[in-house]
Amino acid sequence: MLYIWYLSILLSVLSLAIMLLLIVRRVLHERWGTAGADQRRLLLTALIAFTENRDREALKAALLAVPARVAIDAGFEFISLLRGEEHDELLSAFNECGLPALVGIQLEKGNGAERIHAAEMLAALRSENAVEGLLSALDRDRSREVRIAVAIALCDVDALPPLVITLRKIGAAGQRSRRLIELFRRFPPKRFDELEDYAGRQDAVPFVRAAAIDALARGGSFQFGEFFACAAGDPSAEVAAAALRALGLTGHANAPAILVKAMENEGWDVRASAADAAGRLGLSELAAPLAQLMGDEAWTVRYAAANALRSFGQPGEQVLRGIAASEVSRRQRTASLILAEGPAA
Amino acid sequence: MFDWSQEIVLGASILSWFIIGAGLAQTAVYLLQLIIAAYALSKRPPVARSALLWHRYGDVAPPIALLVPAYNEEVNVVESVHSMLALEYPNFEVIVVNDGSKDQTLQRLIEGFKLVKFHRPYEEALTHKPIRGLYSSPITERLFVVDKENGGKADAQNAGVNVCRAPLFCVIDGDSILEPDALMRAAQPFIDDPERTIAVGGTIRIANGSRIEGGRVREVRLPHRLLPLLQVVEYLRAFLMARLAWSRINTLMLVSGAFGLFRRAEVVAVGGFTSGSMGEDLDLVIKLHRHMMDSKRRYSIQFIPEPVCWTEAPESLRVLARQRTRWQRGSLECFFRYRSMLFNPRYGRVGFLGFGHILIVDVLGPISEVLGYVLIPAFWLLGILSTEYLLAFTSLVFTYGVCVSVCSLVLEEAELKRFPRARDLAVLTAVAVIENFGYRQLNNFWRVKGWWQFLRADQSWGEMTRTGLTGPKK
Repeated sequence: MLYIWYLSILLSVLSLAIMLLLIVRRVLHERWGTAGADQRRLLLTALIAFTENRDREALKAALLAVPARVAIDAGFEFISLLRGEEHDELLSAFNECGLPALVGIQLEKGNGAERIHAAEMLAALRSENAVEGLLSALDRDRSREVRIAVAIALCDVDALPPLVITLRKIGAAGQRSRRLIELFRRFPPKRFDELEDYAGRQDAVPFVRAAAIDALARGGSFQFGEFFACAAGDPSAEVAAAALRALGLTGHANAPAILVKAMENEGWDVRASAADAAGRLGLSELAAPLAQLMGDEAWTVRYAAANALRSFGQPGEQVLRGIAASEVSRRQRTASLILAEGPAA
Repeated sequence: MFDWSQEIVLGASILSWFIIGAGLAQTAVYLLQLIIAAYALSKRPPVARSALLWHRYGDVAPPIALLVPAYNEEVNVVESVHSMLALEYPNFEVIVVNDGSKDQTLQRLIEGFKLVKFHRPYEEALTHKPIRGLYSSPITERLFVVDKENGGKADAQNAGVNVCRAPLFCVIDGDSILEPDALMRAAQPFIDDPERTIAVGGTIRIANGSRIEGGRVREVRLPHRLLPLLQVVEYLRAFLMARLAWSRINTLMLVSGAFGLFRRAEVVAVGGFTSGSMGEDLDLVIKLHRHMMDSKRRYSIQFIPEPVCWTEAPESLRVLARQRTRWQRGSLECFFRYRSMLFNPRYGRVGFLGFGHILIVDVLGPISEVLGYVLIPAFWLLGILSTEYLLAFTSLVFTYGVCVSVCSLVLEEAELKRFPRARDLAVLTAVAVIENFGYRQLNNFWRVKGWWQFLRADQSWGEMTRTGLTGPKK
């Protein structure tokens, strides 16, 4: 029994000793912290002065006069505020001071949060040597969040490996992250065919395929309309819904037939996306199937169908009024609610 | 003649073993939590600046509805809503649910935001007391107010869930203050793993003593009074140690009702918050675990320490006692309602670890400890127990407590550093020691009282008298 007592005393004393050390560390940090804030202020003053006088040497002297971490952090935030010539000149000054090399070390040796930030900074600094470090991190980093951040950075510096290889390196677990949407949205148009190829792969993760379709719809032109039309019939509800949303943005000659078919799909999100696309494209000839859809079991589908009808203007509203005046049913209730939506009279 | 003394000694020894065994189990759970929490924090260092988060996640952050049940909140409601509308998140709406307030809460909102009655179609997925009207504001399209008949907090939250359209919703108390970047930080697991993440809890911190202006905590300070100061350490232990540890092994049983982010579809699937429940937040999370495991879906319920919601802690013993007895009743209610999950292999780690934790810490813990306060010294004085037993019990209720509380503070300072001054740390270290000598015992007494009320089926909520974060209020 006594060992319980002795162990408790030992653990308590140990924890108090550690806490005491941390308090001492904090006291020291408080002193250094003031100095750090002063250095940051001085550097920001120099950066602002640079935007006025473009004196690169003075700026370099200011950058080298403060600790590298302060220069990197303050510099990154400042760079993101600038554009054009000023931006490029500032990058040159940072590169000449060797700051990207220090960020590269952070990418290798920092903790998870620091490595993600380092990848972002390397992309912003656009150093020639950054690509090598980023590619190495994409290969080796143990955190999927870091690998995704690195892929985004590589995309920004136009050095992303082929998409299939990139996704393999990111790993299966990383292929559920919404950050991939960000990656795909940054794809340059010249590489859209890779997104199209990947989105069409039946063996790929549906979430990733849907993200690729969304990116193509947002950034691409009408050239992918045919692809979206095919993907709208995909067995994966997630992919089909994304393709329908894309069709709603780009349109397609055969859109009415595709949407009518999709409105009978088993997946509620496919039916809702089809209704939404019909509304976006103003396909008033689909009023009848939309009216049917207002009796759907899923509220989201009913609401999307009713909204689509409303978006047709006068003809759609007439249909809604007709349904609202009919016998009490799910369709009637939905129509009444949609017609009443807005400020009360 | 039969010698009773031996029987008494045997009985006392068995009872002492039970008390010390329960204490040992509780201490072992705490130490295990500390180790797991330290590992979790080391694996997931926090992002320091919120500007970075916006830069990183701003474009892919999912829409969120902020649900704010309000009951008799006339004093602070307008300022609270203003501060919520000013949160740094790209896509969110604030839905205030006036739960049949008897004061001027609705009128204050109507005047403050020039509200007009509004028809908004919504899915009647969850049941709740009738809604009297919906209001929108011409000043901001982010704000909606639901005016409904009184039905309690869970009922109001269910009404909010029905009305909201976002795939995620965040519950927050009307008198709490969210840090401006709290939503962005809390949404991170939903961005990193949107398929599996179904709920995320953030940290609740005590705002008593801090400087608050315009619905924001402008300067973090420690409370001036001892009672809230003791609760600061208590909250640190609860959030940074217990929740972080269980979250790491996906066994988190509680996402606080004062600040939690949930995926709407799953909450609707389990029938929403249980109306009339004493621990509606614990109840919901248990239901979510059960639903996901029954349907054999992979999921995660996480706690992340960085997003912060500030709340006001009770400053009087009377109010604190009410709060703690209510919490105890809530735990017991949920434990017995879902008792079939306890040690049930079908529910894996949740059945064994999650429910095992509730059994040891909430169900048996207070009873065995309070029994120990009385019986162990008595047995020792009567010469039935040796000094070794007394020391073992003393270490379990005092010295291990010091170690656990101080270690929570060590974790906070080593990884998060959210207390601004070294002096604060020194004060909190002292508090972490002294809370084990009196406050802990008082808390256990309240929890036993909660047990008694539970057995008597006392369902009274009790009035939470507050002095107000920004001004006097009741």
